[in-house]
Amino acid sequence: MTTPLVVFVLILLLPLFMSSWRTSLLGLAGQGLLMAWIVYDRAPALGLDDGAALIDLGLLRGLVAPMVLYRVLRARGVPRRNDVIPPNLLSWTAVLVLVLLAFRFAAALPMPAHERPFVAVATAALLLGFFVLATQVGVFSQIVAVFRLENAIAMFTLGMPAEHDGWWIRGVEIAVLAVTLALFRWYLLALTPAVPAPSEEAA
Amino acid sequence: MSPALWLLAPLAFAPWLRVRGGRHASALVAIAAMVEVAIAALISFEVVPGVELAPAGDALTTDATARLFLLVIDAIFLGITMSAWLRRRVNQGVPDRGALDGLFAIVFLVAANLALVTNHVLLAWLALEVTTLAAAPMIVRPDKPGAIGASWRYVLFSTIGLGVALLGLLCLTRGHAPTAAGSYFFDELARTRAPAGDGWRPLGVALVVLGIGTKLGLAPMYTWLPEAYDEAPSGVAAMLAAVQFNCALVVLLRVLQLPDALDGPAPGVLLTMGLASMIVSAASILATRNIRRLIAYASINHAGVIAIGLALGGPAAYGVLLYAVSNAFIKAILFISVGKMEHHYQSKDMRDVGGLIKDLPYTGLFLMIGTFALLGFPPFGSFLGEMLILSSLSATGQLLVFAGFCVAIATTFVATGRSVFPMIWGEAKRKATWPRQTAVGSLPKIAFMAALVMMGIYVPPQLNALFRDVAAALGAH
Repeated sequence: MTTPLVVFVLILLLPLFMSSWRTSLLGLAGQGLLMAWIVYDRAPALGLDDGAALIDLGLLRGLVAPMVLYRVLRARGVPRRNDVIPPNLLSWTAVLVLVLLAFRFAAALPMPAHERPFVAVATAALLLGFFVLATQVGVFSQIVAVFRLENAIAMFTLGMPAEHDGWWIRGVEIAVLAVTLALFRWYLLALTPAVPAPSEEAA
Repeated sequence: MSPALWLLAPLAFAPWLRVRGGRHASALVAIAAMVEVAIAALISFEVVPGVELAPAGDALTTDATARLFLLVIDAIFLGITMSAWLRRRVNQGVPDRGALDGLFAIVFLVAANLALVTNHVLLAWLALEVTTLAAAPMIVRPDKPGAIGASWRYVLFSTIGLGVALLGLLCLTRGHAPTAAGSYFFDELARTRAPAGDGWRPLGVALVVLGIGTKLGLAPMYTWLPEAYDEAPSGVAAMLAAVQFNCALVVLLRVLQLPDALDGPAPGVLLTMGLASMIVSAASILATRNIRRLIAYASINHAGVIAIGLALGGPAAYGVLLYAVSNAFIKAILFISVGKMEHHYQSKDMRDVGGLIKDLPYTGLFLMIGTFALLGFPPFGSFLGEMLILSSLSATGQLLVFAGFCVAIATTFVATGRSVFPMIWGEAKRKATWPRQTAVGSLPKIAFMAALVMMGIYVPPQLNALFRDVAAALGAH
């Protein structure tokens, strides 16, 4: 397994053990930027499709999405603590079991050896995304879980033998992701109550 | 240029919406829908002779599946928009959609059409995503505080479901040829069988079934559906139930048309999800007193019947198609009628409504017809479709599923009749006010009803050929 993939797994896991929405967003940013690095690192000469992939992974998922969500939560004055999963031993064990399961699953599928780590990491990201979804009811946590799932799918495509032809399809994908992000921002604003500042509360 | 690209034409109406503002949005959307129906008819009945509509390997296709469903969804969309427009003309108090909602409706229409004609797996997924993103803001109503929550859950479940479906589609492309570059085209995937021992295709089909099943409202991921159908304006609920449902179904059909799609775990997954959906919906119909939720649960029931039919493959294929198309018309009739009823009684509670046939004769009549069709009475297409699926269940020896199917259908029948029939024929709950109702305003519903009866009694040869071709692609002989 390559270093970026090991770091990706760590970035997947760390926010689950640290109860802060800022860490969650940092995790999302890290996932996007790492995937962008993987694309950049393996492309000898950047083509149109690679450029589109960099915009999708690095710019949109790595920078814009976490920034947009950060600004909404900051404006709403949401308290620092945010449990991505229930903070107990059972959840933490479940997380580790899911990661192990993902690697066992990838080992069972027929594919060339160099693709296997990508599938394993993507499966781990997917299972952890579902775990976050299953344990959370808050809009912010659900949005984070959806982005985790989207990143898992992106990681899966990075390990695929052939990219689909047509940079324009990648362009449409970027546009759809951008609209999805705008819609998520709208829901987060509408469904997250503003927390009054401590001084207002005291008054 | 592929004629399938003509389906983008309604987008030309988008700038008009900005110029004309929200005042004529309904009319403009209805005109855009008319244009789309005309193009769909040209494509579906192959009016352009000697032109290869979409060559193999192209990103767009106009195969039998696309042609059949293009006609259906565009006709229904036109009916829904005409109904909204006519209703506004007759009752000046009914607010028109804003320009923004008109724009969303047009984007929804174009994306729905693209989902039907696309031959590219990623494009199919993207088109479904766009229908979701366009429909979500239309669910929200300023006067309904719960609508935004319902809209969020709709987006959340749809995004997750479509994400799982995308993963499944990617697995399919991967399973096409593990040693060479995979294919992203449905027709190329359909030309090859997966190599022996390959796990990608069965995994892909199962994931697509799970993901698209969420979009169809199949158990266990169905909870978004009653809420969204309940809170959305009636026209939008009809669009989701009749148009978007069939777009998602077409993507599922394309995957199930792959030669070895039903060799893996997919039939078991479909049967389990289908039966669970029927049981859940029957129990929920028993409990609900909300007419919109009742139709929503009935929609889950329909999705269950379709899933069971699809699990059976070839023998039930014709029945599944007849049932799916019939139900699209049924749900459109019911949601439009309920919208009118809700506006008149200011309530969705079935206990608040009585003597509808005297109070709102047209609405009462269509609610009655829609309910009979919903319950699978003859002479409607839903009856024939359900019978074909049931006989296939019996013929293939799935007797346990057959028994569960019959119990769920019987429960749905009793529960629906118990709630809806007193609304139509029961004692009036208030003095009849005779609001203005015209036959012209009911024209779309009359057309839908005619289509429903036609599918139960006599399917015209050209249409029947389309049904047969799609069924054959699913393995029917």
